[in-house]
Amino acid sequence: MAITRINIGPVHPSTHGVIRLVADIDGDTVVNLEPHIGFLHRGVEKLVETRMYMQSPPYMEKLDYVAPMSYDEAYVAAVEKAMGVEVKERAMWVRTILLELQRIASHLLWLGTMANDVGQFFTVFMWCFKDRDLILRLLEEASGARMFYVNMRIGGLIRDLPPGFDDRARETLNYMEKRIGEYEDFLEKNPIFIERMRGVGVMNRDKAIELGVTGPVLRGSGVSYDVRKDNPYYVYDKLNFEPQARSEGDCFARYKVRMLEMRESIKLVKDALSKMPGGDALGMQVRLILPSAKNREVTLSREMPRGECMMYMVADPQKPYRLSIRSPSFINLAALNEIAKGCRTADIFAIMGSLDLVMGDADR
Amino acid sequence: MKTERNELVQVAKSLKTQGYSYLVKITAVDYEKYLDVLYFLRNMPAGKDEVLEVQIDPADAWVPTLMGEFEAADWYERELFEMFGIEVKGRSMERLLLEKWNGTGAPLRKNFTWNAPYETEGS
Repeated sequence: MAITRINIGPVHPSTHGVIRLVADIDGDTVVNLEPHIGFLHRGVEKLVETRMYMQSPPYMEKLDYVAPMSYDEAYVAAVEKAMGVEVKERAMWVRTILLELQRIASHLLWLGTMANDVGQFFTVFMWCFKDRDLILRLLEEASGARMFYVNMRIGGLIRDLPPGFDDRARETLNYMEKRIGEYEDFLEKNPIFIERMRGVGVMNRDKAIELGVTGPVLRGSGVSYDVRKDNPYYVYDKLNFEPQARSEGDCFARYKVRMLEMRESIKLVKDALSKMPGGDALGMQVRLILPSAKNREVTLSREMPRGECMMYMVADPQKPYRLSIRSPSFINLAALNEIAKGCRTADIFAIMGSLDLVMGDADR
Repeated sequence: MKTERNELVQVAKSLKTQGYSYLVKITAVDYEKYLDVLYFLRNMPAGKDEVLEVQIDPADAWVPTLMGEFEAADWYERELFEMFGIEVKGRSMERLLLEKWNGTGAPLRKNFTWNAPYETEGS
């Protein structure tokens, strides 16, 4: 049969951000799928070279606008490492709590939009967005902003958690736990959802390592690698949680990993809230940043909602000489062609949904 | 670990047999006198990272491809070519990945100046 080339995008409802796909299909089978990216390329790596260290966090947050707190934190942590600054004890706990809340919020947005992609039109989407707002409300209490927080300072945070945050967070998390069970009931007892997800877009363990995918996509293929566990930062080694992995490697496994991760995050936050010490969490106001010469090159890994982000920074006084960001969406998207080969055309969107791509993150 | 570009593929191959089978990132730094190309490899079961460092002359900027060893190198090498003007020998690159412009020069080099209007991407 002749190969047909179809164009998808540049804007498609099932993409977060702008991406264009060119699909070569034989009948209904995908032969080749070429992602065209770069529509959201803003040259952030070049931009930060021209700005002083603490002018850059707002740019970092706009890379992954679904989980801004995690990029904010990763960048500030890289600067701290270059300066050789110790983070205050309480600030480490607060940061852990905020990062995990951000992970839940990000996964909720993913769940809503992915359910849309596979035909569960707007029911789950509305539920998820309503519940995500409860998490955003907690983050707003902690930082003062609803979406772009710019909450980190060298050595700590811009402000400590407000009084009564513990109780409100616990209340919200108890509610979330119940809700996640309801989502699972709704989706996993739904034959259409199962049909669209199970056995679709299979990537086995060796292929996942070969393609370099990361985060829930890697763990969905049976590789239990989680930076929080294997290379722990902050207080993750003092907290009680298990990295989640599934061996099937299909869309359903990736979905399930994220659902389980949300439950783990809830457990983590509750655990951290009960163990958190008192004291001071405020960061310093820094006007002049002089990295120590022995720390000129800094490498730092963080487990973000989408996967592992690695910051490689060559530090100069006042400005970074070079900042290289290994963004999780970029490398997960690079694997799309390999995963989608041999699938049906409609499965492209189920697979893209299960990869949880944010184009701002991929393009930088 | 510093290495020469002529030995890069060999070194990467031997590291892969030692368990460094996961490519984390390929990136470069322009130090003006020379370009530093960095390959971050990981041994996942052992939890160890290894960085391969190749120094090349900016006037003769090329590196061999690692596509044969790591499929993940594909997009990183395309990014390397686009952002640093480093030619990657031994593989094809049909189109630009991130940038949609018709100018010349590599944006992440330190001597880069803007010299072209934006244009829309062709088919």
